[in-house]
Amino acid sequence: MARGWYGTAAVLALLLLLHFILRPFLGDSRVAPDLLLLALLIYAIGARPGRAAVAGFVVGLLADSLTPVAFGANAFAHVAVGYLAAWVKAVFFAENLLVNAGFLFAGTWVRDMLVLVAGRHVEGTAFFWQLGVWSMLKSLTTAAVGVAVLVVFRRWLAIRVAE
Amino acid sequence: MNSAPHRFTSRADTIAFVACLLLSVGARAAPPQVQDSLASAIRATVLAPLLGLQQQAALVKGARARYGAVTAQRDSAVLVAQEVPALQEENQRLREVLSLAARLPRGHVSAEVLHQAAATDGFTLILGAGSEDGVRAMAPVVAAGGLVGVVRSVEPRTSVVMVWAHRDFRVSAMTLDGGVFGIVAPSGAAGPNTMLLELQGVPYRQDVAPGTVIYTSGLGGASGLYPRGIPIGRVLSVSEERAGWSRTFLVRPAVHPASVSHVIVLTARVADLGRAFGEAP
Repeated sequence: MARGWYGTAAVLALLLLLHFILRPFLGDSRVAPDLLLLALLIYAIGARPGRAAVAGFVVGLLADSLTPVAFGANAFAHVAVGYLAAWVKAVFFAENLLVNAGFLFAGTWVRDMLVLVAGRHVEGTAFFWQLGVWSMLKSLTTAAVGVAVLVVFRRWLAIRVAE
Repeated sequence: MNSAPHRFTSRADTIAFVACLLLSVGARAAPPQVQDSLASAIRATVLAPLLGLQQQAALVKGARARYGAVTAQRDSAVLVAQEVPALQEENQRLREVLSLAARLPRGHVSAEVLHQAAATDGFTLILGAGSEDGVRAMAPVVAAGGLVGVVRSVEPRTSVVMVWAHRDFRVSAMTLDGGVFGIVAPSGAAGPNTMLLELQGVPYRQDVAPGTVIYTSGLGGASGLYPRGIPIGRVLSVSEERAGWSRTFLVRPAVHPASVSHVIVLTARVADLGRAFGEAP
Protein backbone atom coordinates (compact mmCIF):
# COMPACT_ATOMS: atom_id res chain seq x y z
CA MET A 1 0.00 0.00 0.00
CA ALA A 2 2.78 2.41 1.02
CA ARG A 3 4.77 1.43 -2.03
CA GLY A 4 1.80 2.20 -4.24
CA TRP A 5 1.33 5.60 -2.57
CA TYR A 6 5.00 6.54 -3.01
CA GLY A 7 4.96 5.31 -6.60
CA THR A 8 1.86 7.35 -7.41
CA ALA A 9 3.34 10.44 -5.73
CA ALA A 10 6.54 10.02 -7.74
CA VAL A 11 4.64 9.71 -11.04
CA LEU A 12 2.47 12.75 -10.22
CA ALA A 13 5.55 14.81 -9.32
CA LEU A 14 7.22 13.72 -12.55
CA LEU A 15 4.18 14.76 -14.59
CA LEU A 16 4.07 18.12 -12.80
CA LEU A 17 7.72 18.82 -13.64
CA LEU A 18 7.44 17.55 -17.22
CA HIS A 19 4.37 19.73 -17.78
CA PHE A 20 6.56 22.82 -17.47
CA ILE A 21 9.88 21.47 -18.78
CA LEU A 22 8.45 19.95 -21.96
CA ARG A 23 5.98 22.74 -22.73
CA PRO A 24 8.34 24.71 -25.05
CA PHE A 25 9.10 21.53 -27.02
CA LEU A 26 5.51 20.30 -27.48
CA GLY A 27 4.54 22.75 -30.21
CA ASP A 28 1.08 24.26 -30.56
CA SER A 29 -0.35 24.58 -27.04
CA ARG A 30 -3.88 24.06 -28.40
CA VAL A 31 -3.17 20.39 -29.18
CA ALA A 32 -0.26 19.59 -26.86
CA PRO A 33 -1.02 17.11 -24.06
CA ASP A 34 -2.02 18.63 -20.73
CA LEU A 35 0.18 16.79 -18.25
CA LEU A 36 -1.21 18.72 -15.27
CA LEU A 37 -4.71 17.44 -15.99
CA LEU A 38 -3.29 14.00 -16.69
CA ALA A 39 -1.74 13.97 -13.22
CA LEU A 40 -5.15 14.85 -11.74
CA LEU A 41 -6.92 12.09 -13.69
CA ILE A 42 -4.30 9.48 -12.72
CA TYR A 43 -4.65 10.58 -9.09
CA ALA A 44 -8.44 10.33 -9.39
CA ILE A 45 -8.16 6.72 -10.59
CA GLY A 46 -7.07 5.62 -7.14
CA ALA A 47 -8.48 8.33 -4.88
CA ARG A 48 -11.78 8.90 -3.14
CA PRO A 49 -14.05 11.38 -4.97
CA GLY A 50 -13.75 13.99 -2.21
CA ARG A 51 -9.96 13.99 -2.28
CA ALA A 52 -9.99 14.06 -6.08
CA ALA A 53 -12.26 17.13 -5.92
CA VAL A 54 -9.81 18.89 -3.57
CA ALA A 55 -6.91 17.94 -5.84
CA GLY A 56 -8.93 19.27 -8.77
CA PHE A 57 -9.44 22.56 -6.96
CA VAL A 58 -5.67 22.93 -6.40
CA VAL A 59 -4.82 22.04 -10.02
CA GLY A 60 -7.58 24.35 -11.23
CA LEU A 61 -6.24 27.29 -9.21
CA LEU A 62 -2.78 26.70 -10.71
CA ALA A 63 -4.29 26.64 -14.21
CA ASP A 64 -6.29 29.79 -13.45
CA SER A 65 -3.12 31.56 -12.33
CA LEU A 66 -1.31 30.52 -15.51
CA THR A 67 -4.05 31.83 -17.81
CA PRO A 68 -5.95 34.44 -15.76
CA VAL A 69 -8.61 35.06 -18.41
CA ALA A 70 -11.59 33.87 -16.38
CA PHE A 71 -10.28 33.23 -12.88
CA GLY A 72 -12.21 30.43 -11.18
CA ALA A 73 -13.35 28.74 -14.39
CA ASN A 74 -10.47 26.27 -14.36
CA ALA A 75 -10.96 25.58 -10.64
CA PHE A 76 -14.66 24.86 -11.24
CA ALA A 77 -13.92 22.59 -14.21
CA HIS A 78 -11.11 20.66 -12.48
CA VAL A 79 -13.17 20.13 -9.31
CA ALA A 80 -16.02 18.67 -11.37
CA VAL A 81 -13.73 16.53 -13.51
CA GLY A 82 -11.70 15.28 -10.53
CA TYR A 83 -14.81 14.31 -8.58
CA LEU A 84 -16.57 12.71 -11.54
CA ALA A 85 -13.42 10.85 -12.61
CA ALA A 86 -12.95 9.29 -9.18
CA TRP A 87 -16.67 8.46 -8.97
CA VAL A 88 -16.76 6.91 -12.45
CA LYS A 89 -13.66 4.82 -11.74
CA ALA A 90 -15.21 3.69 -8.45
CA VAL A 91 -18.39 2.59 -10.19
CA PHE A 92 -16.93 0.95 -13.28
CA PHE A 93 -13.34 0.20 -12.10
CA ALA A 94 -12.41 -1.22 -15.51
CA GLU A 95 -8.69 -1.89 -15.98
CA ASN A 96 -8.89 -2.25 -19.74
CA LEU A 97 -6.37 -0.15 -21.64
CA LEU A 98 -8.96 1.10 -24.11
CA VAL A 99 -11.34 2.05 -21.30
CA ASN A 100 -8.55 4.00 -19.59
CA ALA A 101 -7.77 5.78 -22.86
CA GLY A 102 -11.44 6.72 -23.23
CA PHE A 103 -11.54 7.83 -19.61
CA LEU A 104 -8.55 10.18 -20.12
CA PHE A 105 -9.94 11.45 -23.44
CA ALA A 106 -13.36 12.20 -21.95
CA GLY A 107 -11.83 13.81 -18.85
CA THR A 108 -9.77 16.23 -20.94
CA TRP A 109 -12.63 17.11 -23.28
CA VAL A 110 -15.14 17.64 -20.47
CA ARG A 111 -12.62 19.83 -18.63
CA ASP A 112 -12.18 22.04 -21.72
CA MET A 113 -15.94 22.26 -22.19
CA LEU A 114 -16.54 23.29 -18.58
CA VAL A 115 -13.73 25.88 -18.74
CA LEU A 116 -15.23 27.44 -21.86
CA VAL A 117 -18.77 27.38 -20.46
CA ALA A 118 -17.75 28.79 -17.07
CA GLY A 119 -15.36 31.33 -18.60
CA ARG A 120 -17.76 32.51 -21.33
CA HIS A 121 -14.83 33.95 -23.30
CA VAL A 122 -15.52 31.95 -26.44
CA GLU A 123 -18.98 31.74 -27.98
CA GLY A 124 -20.81 30.76 -31.15
CA THR A 125 -18.88 29.12 -33.97
CA ALA A 126 -15.58 29.57 -32.20
CA PHE A 127 -16.91 27.66 -29.19
CA PHE A 128 -17.87 24.65 -31.31
CA TRP A 129 -14.64 24.93 -33.33
CA GLN A 130 -12.63 24.90 -30.10
CA LEU A 131 -14.54 21.93 -28.68
CA GLY A 132 -14.90 20.03 -31.94
CA VAL A 133 -11.35 20.38 -33.20
CA TRP A 134 -8.77 21.73 -30.78
CA SER A 135 -10.12 20.12 -27.61
CA MET A 136 -10.58 16.82 -29.46
CA LEU A 137 -6.95 16.88 -30.60
CA LYS A 138 -5.75 17.89 -27.15
CA SER A 139 -7.82 15.07 -25.62
CA LEU A 140 -6.30 12.60 -28.09
CA THR A 141 -2.71 13.61 -27.29
CA THR A 142 -3.41 13.67 -23.56
CA ALA A 143 -5.03 10.23 -23.69
CA ALA A 144 -2.13 8.83 -25.74
CA VAL A 145 0.44 10.14 -23.27
CA GLY A 146 -1.73 8.96 -20.38
CA VAL A 147 -1.91 5.40 -21.70
CA ALA A 148 1.87 5.40 -22.16
CA VAL A 149 2.30 6.60 -18.57
CA LEU A 150 -0.10 3.95 -17.25
CA VAL A 151 1.72 1.19 -19.15
CA VAL A 152 5.25 2.33 -18.30
CA PHE A 153 4.55 3.10 -14.63
CA ARG A 154 1.88 0.47 -13.93
CA ARG A 155 3.96 -1.05 -11.12
CA TRP A 156 4.66 2.30 -9.49
CA LEU A 157 0.98 3.17 -9.75
CA ALA A 158 0.04 -0.29 -8.46
CA ILE A 159 -2.56 -0.83 -11.15
CA ARG A 160 -3.31 -3.64 -13.52
CA VAL A 161 -3.72 -2.65 -17.14
CA ALA A 162 -5.16 -5.34 -19.38
CA GLU A 163 -5.33 -4.98 -23.17
CA MET B 1 -7.25 -0.06 -7.84
CA ASN B 2 -9.86 -2.79 -7.58
CA SER B 3 -11.32 -1.63 -4.31
CA ALA B 4 -14.31 -0.09 -5.98
CA PRO B 5 -17.14 -1.49 -3.84
CA HIS B 6 -16.10 0.57 -0.81
CA ARG B 7 -15.08 3.66 -2.75
CA PHE B 8 -18.48 5.04 -3.61
CA THR B 9 -19.26 8.57 -2.57
CA SER B 10 -19.55 9.12 1.17
CA ARG B 11 -20.94 12.16 2.97
CA ALA B 12 -17.41 13.50 3.47
CA ASP B 13 -16.76 13.22 -0.27
CA THR B 14 -19.93 15.12 -1.08
CA ILE B 15 -19.10 17.85 1.45
CA ALA B 16 -15.58 18.22 0.03
CA PHE B 17 -16.96 18.37 -3.51
CA VAL B 18 -19.60 20.98 -2.70
CA ALA B 19 -17.12 23.06 -0.70
CA CYS B 20 -14.61 23.06 -3.58
CA LEU B 21 -17.34 23.95 -6.07
CA LEU B 22 -18.50 26.84 -3.88
CA LEU B 23 -14.92 28.08 -3.53
CA SER B 24 -14.51 27.90 -7.32
CA VAL B 25 -17.72 29.85 -7.91
CA GLY B 26 -16.58 32.35 -5.28
CA ALA B 27 -13.25 32.77 -7.08
CA ARG B 28 -15.08 33.25 -10.40
CA ALA B 29 -17.41 35.86 -8.92
CA ALA B 30 -14.71 37.74 -7.00
CA PRO B 31 -13.81 41.30 -8.09
CA PRO B 32 -11.10 41.43 -10.80
CA GLN B 33 -8.63 43.05 -8.40
CA VAL B 34 -9.00 40.15 -5.95
CA GLN B 35 -8.68 37.62 -8.78
CA ASP B 36 -5.56 39.31 -10.15
CA SER B 37 -3.87 39.58 -6.76
CA LEU B 38 -4.68 35.92 -5.96
CA ALA B 39 -3.37 34.72 -9.33
CA SER B 40 -0.32 36.93 -8.95
CA ALA B 41 0.39 35.54 -5.47
CA ILE B 42 0.16 31.94 -6.73
CA ARG B 43 2.47 32.70 -9.66
CA ALA B 44 4.97 34.43 -7.40
CA THR B 45 5.07 31.56 -4.87
CA VAL B 46 3.93 28.04 -5.82
CA LEU B 47 4.37 28.44 -9.56
CA ALA B 48 7.57 30.53 -9.50
CA PRO B 49 10.02 27.58 -9.52
CA LEU B 50 7.92 25.69 -12.08
CA LEU B 51 7.70 28.70 -14.40
CA GLY B 52 11.45 29.13 -13.87
CA LEU B 53 11.89 25.57 -15.14
CA GLN B 54 9.73 26.33 -18.16
CA GLN B 55 11.74 29.46 -18.86
CA GLN B 56 15.01 27.51 -18.70
CA ALA B 57 13.54 24.92 -21.07
CA ALA B 58 12.50 27.70 -23.46
CA LEU B 59 16.04 29.11 -23.28
CA VAL B 60 17.48 25.68 -24.08
CA LYS B 61 15.14 25.39 -27.05
CA GLY B 62 16.13 28.87 -28.24
CA ALA B 63 19.82 28.12 -27.72
CA ARG B 64 19.54 24.96 -29.82
CA ALA B 65 17.90 26.90 -32.64
CA ARG B 66 20.51 29.65 -32.43
CA TYR B 67 23.32 27.08 -32.40
CA GLY B 68 21.99 25.65 -35.65
CA ALA B 69 21.75 29.11 -37.17
CA VAL B 70 25.27 30.04 -36.05
CA THR B 71 26.65 26.79 -37.45
CA ALA B 72 24.92 27.46 -40.75
CA GLN B 73 26.25 31.03 -40.79
CA ARG B 74 29.77 29.81 -40.00
CA ASP B 75 29.61 27.33 -42.85
CA SER B 76 28.29 30.01 -45.15
CA ALA B 77 31.03 32.39 -44.02
CA VAL B 78 33.70 29.82 -44.87
CA LEU B 79 32.34 29.63 -48.38
CA VAL B 80 31.83 33.33 -49.01
CA ALA B 81 35.14 34.31 -47.40
CA GLN B 82 36.85 33.08 -50.58
CA GLU B 83 35.73 36.24 -52.32
CA VAL B 84 35.76 39.65 -50.64
CA PRO B 85 32.87 41.18 -52.64
CA ALA B 86 30.74 38.19 -51.74
CA LEU B 87 31.72 38.62 -48.11
CA GLN B 88 30.72 42.29 -48.21
CA GLU B 89 27.41 41.33 -49.71
CA GLU B 90 26.88 38.77 -46.96
CA ASN B 91 27.68 41.39 -44.33
CA GLN B 92 25.15 43.71 -45.89
CA ARG B 93 22.54 40.96 -45.85
CA LEU B 94 23.23 40.21 -42.19
CA ARG B 95 22.86 43.89 -41.34
CA GLU B 96 19.49 43.92 -43.04
CA VAL B 97 18.20 41.06 -40.90
CA LEU B 98 19.20 42.66 -37.63
CA SER B 99 16.53 42.01 -35.04
CA LEU B 100 13.86 44.46 -34.06
CA ALA B 101 15.55 44.83 -30.70
CA ALA B 102 18.55 46.52 -32.32
CA ARG B 103 16.29 49.12 -33.98
CA LEU B 104 14.34 49.96 -30.88
CA PRO B 105 15.42 52.84 -28.66
CA ARG B 106 16.74 52.11 -25.17
CA GLY B 107 14.37 50.83 -22.53
CA HIS B 108 13.09 47.45 -23.60
CA VAL B 109 13.25 43.88 -22.29
CA SER B 110 13.29 40.71 -24.40
CA ALA B 111 11.28 37.83 -22.96
CA GLU B 112 10.33 34.26 -23.78
CA VAL B 113 6.63 33.46 -24.05
CA LEU B 114 5.71 30.58 -21.72
CA HIS B 115 2.70 29.10 -23.51
CA GLN B 116 0.22 27.15 -21.37
CA ALA B 117 -2.04 24.19 -22.04
CA ALA B 118 -5.34 25.90 -21.22
CA ALA B 119 -7.92 26.57 -23.93
CA THR B 120 -7.76 30.25 -23.03
CA ASP B 121 -4.00 30.56 -23.69
CA GLY B 122 -4.52 32.91 -26.66
CA PHE B 123 -6.10 35.65 -24.55
CA THR B 124 -3.24 36.09 -22.09
CA LEU B 125 0.43 35.10 -22.27
CA ILE B 126 2.93 34.50 -19.50
CA LEU B 127 6.37 36.02 -20.08
CA GLY B 128 9.62 34.81 -18.56
CA ALA B 129 10.56 38.33 -17.45
CA GLY B 130 9.24 40.29 -14.50
CA SER B 131 9.82 43.28 -12.29
CA GLU B 132 13.42 42.16 -11.60
CA ASP B 133 14.07 42.61 -15.33
CA GLY B 134 12.43 46.03 -15.44
CA VAL B 135 8.99 45.00 -16.69
CA ARG B 136 6.16 47.17 -15.34
CA ALA B 137 2.39 46.92 -15.53
CA MET B 138 0.73 48.58 -18.56
CA ALA B 139 3.93 48.35 -20.62
CA PRO B 140 3.29 47.71 -24.36
CA VAL B 141 4.45 44.34 -25.71
CA VAL B 142 5.57 43.96 -29.33
CA ALA B 143 6.98 41.28 -31.61
CA ALA B 144 8.87 41.65 -34.87
CA GLY B 145 5.58 41.93 -36.78
CA GLY B 146 3.85 44.46 -34.55
CA LEU B 147 1.70 44.89 -31.47
CA VAL B 148 1.06 41.86 -29.21
CA GLY B 149 -0.66 43.45 -26.22
CA VAL B 150 -0.02 45.10 -22.89
CA VAL B 151 1.40 43.87 -19.59
CA ARG B 152 -1.46 43.21 -17.19
CA SER B 153 0.33 42.14 -14.02
CA VAL B 154 3.93 41.68 -12.95
CA GLU B 155 5.68 39.30 -10.56
CA PRO B 156 9.40 39.36 -9.75
CA ARG B 157 10.37 36.93 -12.53
CA THR B 158 7.25 36.57 -14.66
CA SER B 159 4.52 38.79 -16.04
CA VAL B 160 1.13 38.37 -17.70
CA VAL B 161 0.29 40.02 -21.02
CA MET B 162 -3.24 40.84 -22.09
CA VAL B 163 -3.15 39.94 -25.80
CA TRP B 164 -5.12 41.86 -28.45
CA ALA B 165 -7.60 38.95 -28.60
CA HIS B 166 -8.74 39.63 -25.01
CA ARG B 167 -12.21 41.19 -24.91
CA ASP B 168 -11.00 44.09 -22.73
CA PHE B 169 -8.25 45.10 -25.19
CA ARG B 170 -8.49 48.51 -26.89
CA VAL B 171 -5.92 50.67 -28.68
CA SER B 172 -6.16 54.00 -30.49
CA ALA B 173 -5.18 53.49 -34.13
CA MET B 174 -4.57 55.33 -37.39
CA THR B 175 -3.51 54.81 -40.98
CA LEU B 176 0.03 55.44 -42.19
CA ASP B 177 -0.73 58.98 -43.41
CA GLY B 178 -2.59 59.85 -40.23
CA GLY B 179 -5.75 60.59 -42.23
CA VAL B 180 -8.01 58.08 -40.49
CA PHE B 181 -8.25 57.49 -36.77
CA GLY B 182 -10.27 54.93 -34.81
CA ILE B 183 -10.27 52.45 -31.98
CA VAL B 184 -9.05 48.90 -32.56
CA ALA B 185 -10.73 46.12 -30.55
CA PRO B 186 -11.15 42.35 -30.85
CA SER B 187 -13.77 41.37 -33.40
CA GLY B 188 -15.77 39.39 -30.85
CA ALA B 189 -15.95 36.04 -29.14
CA ALA B 190 -18.36 34.44 -31.60
CA GLY B 191 -18.48 33.84 -35.31
CA PRO B 192 -15.80 33.33 -37.95
CA ASN B 193 -13.97 36.58 -37.12
CA THR B 194 -12.92 35.54 -33.62
CA MET B 195 -9.20 35.92 -34.21
CA LEU B 196 -9.52 39.20 -36.11
CA LEU B 197 -9.62 42.82 -34.98
CA GLU B 198 -11.97 45.68 -35.76
CA LEU B 199 -11.14 49.31 -36.48
CA GLN B 200 -14.15 51.03 -34.95
CA GLY B 201 -15.49 54.54 -34.94
CA VAL B 202 -14.19 55.68 -38.34
CA PRO B 203 -16.30 58.58 -39.67
CA TYR B 204 -18.64 57.45 -42.48
CA ARG B 205 -17.16 59.84 -45.04
CA GLN B 206 -13.70 58.29 -44.65
CA ASP B 207 -12.81 55.08 -46.42
CA VAL B 208 -9.89 52.75 -45.82
CA ALA B 209 -8.80 50.52 -48.70
CA PRO B 210 -8.28 46.80 -48.09
CA GLY B 211 -4.61 46.09 -47.40
CA THR B 212 -4.00 49.39 -45.61
CA VAL B 213 -1.75 48.93 -42.59
CA ILE B 214 -3.14 50.21 -39.29
CA TYR B 215 -0.72 51.61 -36.70
CA THR B 216 -0.98 52.71 -33.10
CA SER B 217 -1.74 56.42 -33.08
CA GLY B 218 0.19 57.29 -29.94
CA LEU B 219 -2.58 59.58 -28.75
CA GLY B 220 -1.63 60.79 -25.30
CA GLY B 221 1.94 61.55 -26.30
CA ALA B 222 4.79 60.32 -24.10
CA SER B 223 2.37 59.75 -21.22
CA GLY B 224 0.07 57.57 -23.35
CA LEU B 225 -0.05 53.79 -23.15
CA TYR B 226 1.16 52.86 -26.66
CA PRO B 227 3.80 54.73 -28.65
CA ARG B 228 2.91 55.92 -32.13
CA GLY B 229 3.84 53.75 -35.12
CA ILE B 230 3.50 50.12 -33.97
CA PRO B 231 1.80 48.02 -36.69
CA ILE B 232 -1.49 46.51 -35.49
CA GLY B 233 -2.69 44.81 -38.66
CA ARG B 234 -4.02 45.15 -42.21
CA VAL B 235 -7.54 46.16 -43.20
CA LEU B 236 -9.48 43.30 -44.78
CA SER B 237 -12.90 44.78 -45.52
CA VAL B 238 -15.78 46.85 -44.16
CA SER B 239 -17.39 44.96 -41.31
CA GLU B 240 -20.27 47.24 -40.39
CA GLU B 241 -21.74 50.51 -41.62
CA ARG B 242 -24.02 52.83 -39.76
CA ALA B 243 -25.44 54.92 -42.55
CA GLY B 244 -24.30 58.49 -42.26
CA TRP B 245 -22.48 57.94 -38.99
CA SER B 246 -19.53 55.58 -38.89
CA ARG B 247 -17.86 52.53 -40.37
CA THR B 248 -16.17 49.56 -38.78
CA PHE B 249 -13.38 47.77 -40.65
CA LEU B 250 -12.19 44.20 -40.19
CA VAL B 251 -8.44 44.03 -39.53
CA ARG B 252 -6.10 41.05 -39.88
CA PRO B 253 -3.71 41.24 -36.88
CA ALA B 254 0.00 41.69 -37.55
CA VAL B 255 0.94 39.15 -34.88
CA HIS B 256 -0.79 35.90 -33.97
CA PRO B 257 -0.41 35.07 -30.26
CA ALA B 258 -0.14 31.29 -30.75
CA SER B 259 2.88 31.68 -33.03
CA VAL B 260 4.85 34.07 -30.83
CA SER B 261 7.77 32.57 -28.93
CA HIS B 262 9.71 35.74 -28.06
CA VAL B 263 8.47 39.28 -27.47
CA ILE B 264 9.84 42.68 -26.48
CA VAL B 265 8.42 44.64 -23.56
CA LEU B 266 8.81 48.41 -23.94
CA THR B 267 9.83 49.56 -20.49
CA ALA B 268 10.63 53.19 -21.30
CA ARG B 269 8.08 55.78 -22.42
CA VAL B 270 8.70 56.43 -26.12
CA ALA B 271 6.54 58.71 -28.23
CA ASP B 272 7.20 57.23 -31.70
CA LEU B 273 8.34 53.79 -32.82
CA GLY B 274 7.64 54.23 -36.54
CA ARG B 275 11.29 53.96 -37.53
CA ALA B 276 11.82 50.77 -35.56
CA PHE B 277 9.13 49.07 -37.61
CA GLY B 278 10.39 50.35 -40.93
CA GLU B 279 7.42 52.48 -42.02
CA ALA B 280 7.52 55.75 -40.15
CA PRO B 281 4.11 57.39 -40.21
